[in-house]
Amino acid sequence: MVQLVNAAFNGLSLSSIILLTSLGLAITFGLMKVINMAHGEFVMIGAYMTYITQQLFLAALPKASMSLYYFAAIPAAFLAAFALGCLTEKLIISRLYGREIDSLLATGGLSLVLQQAARSIFGSQGVNVEAPDFLKGGISAFGCTFSYNRIFILILVSATLLAIWILIYKTKFGSHMRAVMQNRPMAQCMGINSRRVDNITFGIGSGLAGLAGCSVALLGSVDSTAGQSYIVNSFMAVVLGGVGKIAGTVVGSAIIGFSGIAVESFTSSSIAKAIVLIIIIVFLQRKPQGLFTIRSRSLDE
Amino acid sequence: MKNKIKIRHFAFAAIAASLAIVPALLQAGLVDSPAVFFLGKCIAFSIAAIGIDLIWGFTGILSLGHGLYFALGGYAMAMHLKMNATGGNITEFMHTGGLTRLPLIWRPFLSPILTAVLIFAIPAALSGLVGGFIFKKRVKGVYFSIISQALTWAAYSMFIALSPYTNGNIGITDIKSIFGAVRGAANYMNLFKIFYASLAALVLVYIMASFLVERKFGKILAAIRDAENRTYFSGYQASRYKSFIYVLSAAIAAAGGAVFVNFNGSITPSQMTISYSITMVVWVAIGGRGTIIGAVIGAFLINLCEYNLSSGSMVDIWQYIIGAMFCIAILFFKGGIAGLFSAQIPELARRFRAGREEESEAG
Repeated sequence: MVQLVNAAFNGLSLSSIILLTSLGLAITFGLMKVINMAHGEFVMIGAYMTYITQQLFLAALPKASMSLYYFAAIPAAFLAAFALGCLTEKLIISRLYGREIDSLLATGGLSLVLQQAARSIFGSQGVNVEAPDFLKGGISAFGCTFSYNRIFILILVSATLLAIWILIYKTKFGSHMRAVMQNRPMAQCMGINSRRVDNITFGIGSGLAGLAGCSVALLGSVDSTAGQSYIVNSFMAVVLGGVGKIAGTVVGSAIIGFSGIAVESFTSSSIAKAIVLIIIIVFLQRKPQGLFTIRSRSLDE
Repeated sequence: MKNKIKIRHFAFAAIAASLAIVPALLQAGLVDSPAVFFLGKCIAFSIAAIGIDLIWGFTGILSLGHGLYFALGGYAMAMHLKMNATGGNITEFMHTGGLTRLPLIWRPFLSPILTAVLIFAIPAALSGLVGGFIFKKRVKGVYFSIISQALTWAAYSMFIALSPYTNGNIGITDIKSIFGAVRGAANYMNLFKIFYASLAALVLVYIMASFLVERKFGKILAAIRDAENRTYFSGYQASRYKSFIYVLSAAIAAAGGAVFVNFNGSITPSQMTISYSITMVVWVAIGGRGTIIGAVIGAFLINLCEYNLSSGSMVDIWQYIIGAMFCIAILFFKGGIAGLFSAQIPELARRFRAGREEESEAG
């Protein structure tokens, strides 16, 4: 029983981390159909922003208020990634709409540059972000421990999901966004500035990656390859769930997270990762559109 | 058109000829032996690049997993060479990993003939299995790229995790070439043998690839790239063509890997990563996609730059340069270097001439 609860919590926690890194992709890839290979590097930027904020607080403020740095780090990470995302869209991606594979490759080049930039600035050694005091330790229940920072990530994911839902379905910008993604020429005819919508949508997707980086920083040391380890699972979560559906991404992440933990109980964690990926690849052979499909009669969907 | 094709082949012949005199230059003392090893690796890279050009440049399928096939070919060759070195006994890393007898998967590599078959058979079988199903289900574009990327990642974690069999992160090291030891001045003869054998392999692959794409087959590949549905409607089973070219390019990449090991003396899982696969696509993108010669030029040029720049203080800057070059090539020079010569410069010249004629008419 204790083991089962533990496994369930671990699965939930892993799923939430995958989901957090996938949400940005669900927007840039799912809605805009842009493959951003530098998404992992935006996660990395979020993690480094957290580190920078921590160092600034260490230098400027008394020790007692140290823990507060995390509340400043969250918006800082989001905004840094958001700004860089908007810039990337303006300089690279906006020139490559309709050439999906080329935008994938160009952002691949960007990811090489960003990784090297991280190495030049912060060194190739990983840096450590110390968790704020209120996230240290955990609660014990049913004979096992639930650490606070994993619970915090769960809460952060839920809050982010809610925010995305409100943004997409309850705001004016959200309706513009959906209009542009569904029928670009018609949206333009209705007076929507589709270039601006593209730019901000991509920025938001990148910003979410930064947000993910902020929480990933709590889990281990941060180095220039920090984003790479999440990116494969994130892409698979989006594809498995069905491109274009945020709910699909949630389910996809949950499947990858829980099955990862389940397989891990039989074998080592890196083999478990490989097995889960292979199972998903086999599954996608049967159902290439993913779990949640948008029905369409269009030939090239 | 006929003329243009000839220029390409002429360019390749020039590259091959200049490579052929490298051993003579070594003996004359004009180049040092690291440079010869490096050029040997470049030959291996350009073989792999031709494979990528076939699938990406001609057919428009972006595989982010050719590093995997390159490494599989490399590992197969390295395992055979390691067995040569140990005389068929178990290696040290297997001993450390707790194995007492040679594992079953290593046994076929005792035989040179079986190794030669397996270098191609393993990547071909894997790519056939994956590609066959995926293309039949009409998964295309970026979805295929993502799946191939996940496959590469899965294989990479497997190779690291199964360290008693593969020596994990370190890979298979301390191996000689198929003609015996090549390091040091005493072994120049062996080095020349393997160098010319590799050059012959490159020429062979180049001729085969050119033969394929200059025929109707190549036109069908281009048709699939440009309008896949129309190709289906015209009565071609596009998925079969795609599977075939995917398997072929995987086998070519594996051949590149097998050549690479002979010069590098080791193979590690880092050749299997996604970023390495992307680097290989960079060569083709900068050299010029959709022209076999572009892949060769790109592989040589990028690696030559890297070889000269990535020592000392330039090592940091090099990563920026290659990343930026890649972005710029994709954004502004879709045809890469080959495209620059075959399309963009003639176009500029034409415009320039047209401009001058206008001027003279006005004047």
